[in-house]
Amino acid sequence: MNSLFFYALLLVYLVGCILHILFLTTGNRRIAKFAYWLTIGGFALHSLFILLRWRYVGHLMAYWYDSTSFLAWAIILIYLCIAHRPRLRTIGVFVVPAAFIATLVAYTLQTQENTAIPTYLQNYWLIAHSAVIFLAYAAFVAAFGFGLMYLIEEKKIRQKQHMPIHNLLPALGGSDELGHKCILVGVILMTMGILIGILWTRYVQEVKWTWVDSKVIFTIATWLIYVLQLSIRQVLGWRGRKTAYSAIIGFAAVLFTYVGVNLFLPSIHAF
Amino acid sequence: MNQIVVVGTSHHIAPLDFRERLSFSESELTEAFQLLREHPDVQEATILSTCNRVEVYAVTHGKNGCATLSDFLSTYHQIEPQQLGKFTYSHQNLDVIRHIFEVTASLDSMIVGEPQILGQVKEAYTQSLAAGATGDILNRLLTKAISVGKRVRTETNIAAGAVSISYAAVELAKRIFQSLEDKTVAIIGAGEMSELTAKHLVKNNVSQVIVANRTYQRAVDIAKKFSGIPLTYDADLSFLVEADIVISSTDAPHYLIHRHSLAEIMKKRKYRYMFLIDIAVPRDIDPEASKVDNAFLYNIDDLEAVVVSNLKDRHQEAEIAEQIVTEEVAKFQSQLQVFEVNPTIKALHQQFQQVASKELGICLDKAQLTPKQQKMVEAMTQSIIKKLLHQPTKHLRGVALNPDLTGAVNDSNDEHVKCVRALQELFDLENTRDRNLRG
Repeated sequence: MNSLFFYALLLVYLVGCILHILFLTTGNRRIAKFAYWLTIGGFALHSLFILLRWRYVGHLMAYWYDSTSFLAWAIILIYLCIAHRPRLRTIGVFVVPAAFIATLVAYTLQTQENTAIPTYLQNYWLIAHSAVIFLAYAAFVAAFGFGLMYLIEEKKIRQKQHMPIHNLLPALGGSDELGHKCILVGVILMTMGILIGILWTRYVQEVKWTWVDSKVIFTIATWLIYVLQLSIRQVLGWRGRKTAYSAIIGFAAVLFTYVGVNLFLPSIHAF
Repeated sequence: MNQIVVVGTSHHIAPLDFRERLSFSESELTEAFQLLREHPDVQEATILSTCNRVEVYAVTHGKNGCATLSDFLSTYHQIEPQQLGKFTYSHQNLDVIRHIFEVTASLDSMIVGEPQILGQVKEAYTQSLAAGATGDILNRLLTKAISVGKRVRTETNIAAGAVSISYAAVELAKRIFQSLEDKTVAIIGAGEMSELTAKHLVKNNVSQVIVANRTYQRAVDIAKKFSGIPLTYDADLSFLVEADIVISSTDAPHYLIHRHSLAEIMKKRKYRYMFLIDIAVPRDIDPEASKVDNAFLYNIDDLEAVVVSNLKDRHQEAEIAEQIVTEEVAKFQSQLQVFEVNPTIKALHQQFQQVASKELGICLDKAQLTPKQQKMVEAMTQSIIKKLLHQPTKHLRGVALNPDLTGAVNDSNDEHVKCVRALQELFDLENTRDRNLRG
């Protein structure tokens, strides 16, 4: 049943990616509308898949690939929050492929049963802790998308390039503002996720909370990058290109914290 | 023989002073319509008179429609026929349809895609309708031409992209700022172009205008136009901290805004975006200033380049518009032909009905039938008429619907014209001859 769901999801997201790219190149708003509704369909299917797995496996985040699948779902959720405004559907060009890749990774990892979380940890604390952090990651993915959109549009304006009739990218101010909001949402969620993690280890498991874990260190580092960026923006008025670059650096940090740490460094976190 | 004709002039072939001489003022129009209505050869007429073109459209008797209109124009405006011939063009039939569709589609305009012409054609149509100068054919032609103009504008991007420097500046501002609503514009110096740009920005809901000039009175004068704030300035440009869009057009011989001074200003405004438009020659803003973060500088040449590239785009879109026009000309021609055969079809039906009711009357008088039998005979007669006329009606509409684009509308060799003639002669449909376009 898993594979069947994965095939369907991969197909829907792939077609979604193609349609969004087609929209960006042709400027046909009907394509954008279709891509949007298709992605909604994919989201519904994905939600059903997650719920079914939760019911049959007994936990939302039992395996590594559950978390990746959840990340893809969260990215699509953020996309839908943004793209219900038709003018902003170009963000799909950047985030739907991210969801597709995450789903693909989840699919290739699904046979590795050794990534399971020990059963004594499979409780609601784990769900709250990881779900909130993955939602934050998804918001950072969207901020990354807006950062790229900003840089592309800014380059066009600065180089005084020929303006196409269909200008589908939002105004510079728009990309910047939306990217900022995504980072803000991401930071709030991430803070919550970290706090839940601390409370969980400290008061529920009655283990002394430790800094030494590599996942913890990199998560804090990532969090700091975003918090620093937000503070400088507040105080000195950093915006535009600098926000865009920091969204890209932050995204790289997210990637390393989520994937890199588990590949290269020992950690008590399964994901 | 009737024809649709147009005689006119436009910016393509005639200089302004000639167009002025040929144009019709509001009062002249009424008079001209009166003359055209009374003209023995003219059945329908309409006049389109704008600053770029003057055209008289008409449906005329006989083959010399163009000559009729040329004569009318030369007598009315007292222009020598020779000069008139040099600066006017004329079209007949199918070419008229194509021409007016191209006009409303703005393909014939000085700037392809400009919006005014459609309104001007509408206005001309309303005026001639009010004057009672148009009839069935021109009404159809003008209504169709207006709808073709609309179709071209919605289905192509012929009207997209700014084609003037001031609009290009507004479009660029919209690419930088998400909304212009809470933005402040600063105009430094004076000039037609900067005022025009500011005017467009105000129309797009810019909230505040600052007018800075070396002489205070001048600033006050300009500021009045936008209910803006007048200022004088020297070396101190601190008012720029509040400005999101800066339009500079002073006649200063040196740079007014340098990179370092702009960097200072940007820092003070916390790097909120600033769009600087330098339309002064020599330039007011050091080109190096464009390297400051979140400041975007466009000079007059840059804006000109935007306009040129937009115009190029419009000309590409014009090719798609041409295809739409061709398609619509074909459709309209067949509609016109169906319209032409309709009176003949109607007359034929009427004649059959008359004969039938006459004969039915005689028959019913003689034969003593029950009411039920009477009804049956009546119904049978109707059904015979219907069945007899079905095939000829269908055939006639069929040939009319099938336009031959190589020929002119009123080519007397057309299949449907032959059929109409044959029917008129065979059934002696005298009464339709006057009403029919072909006579």
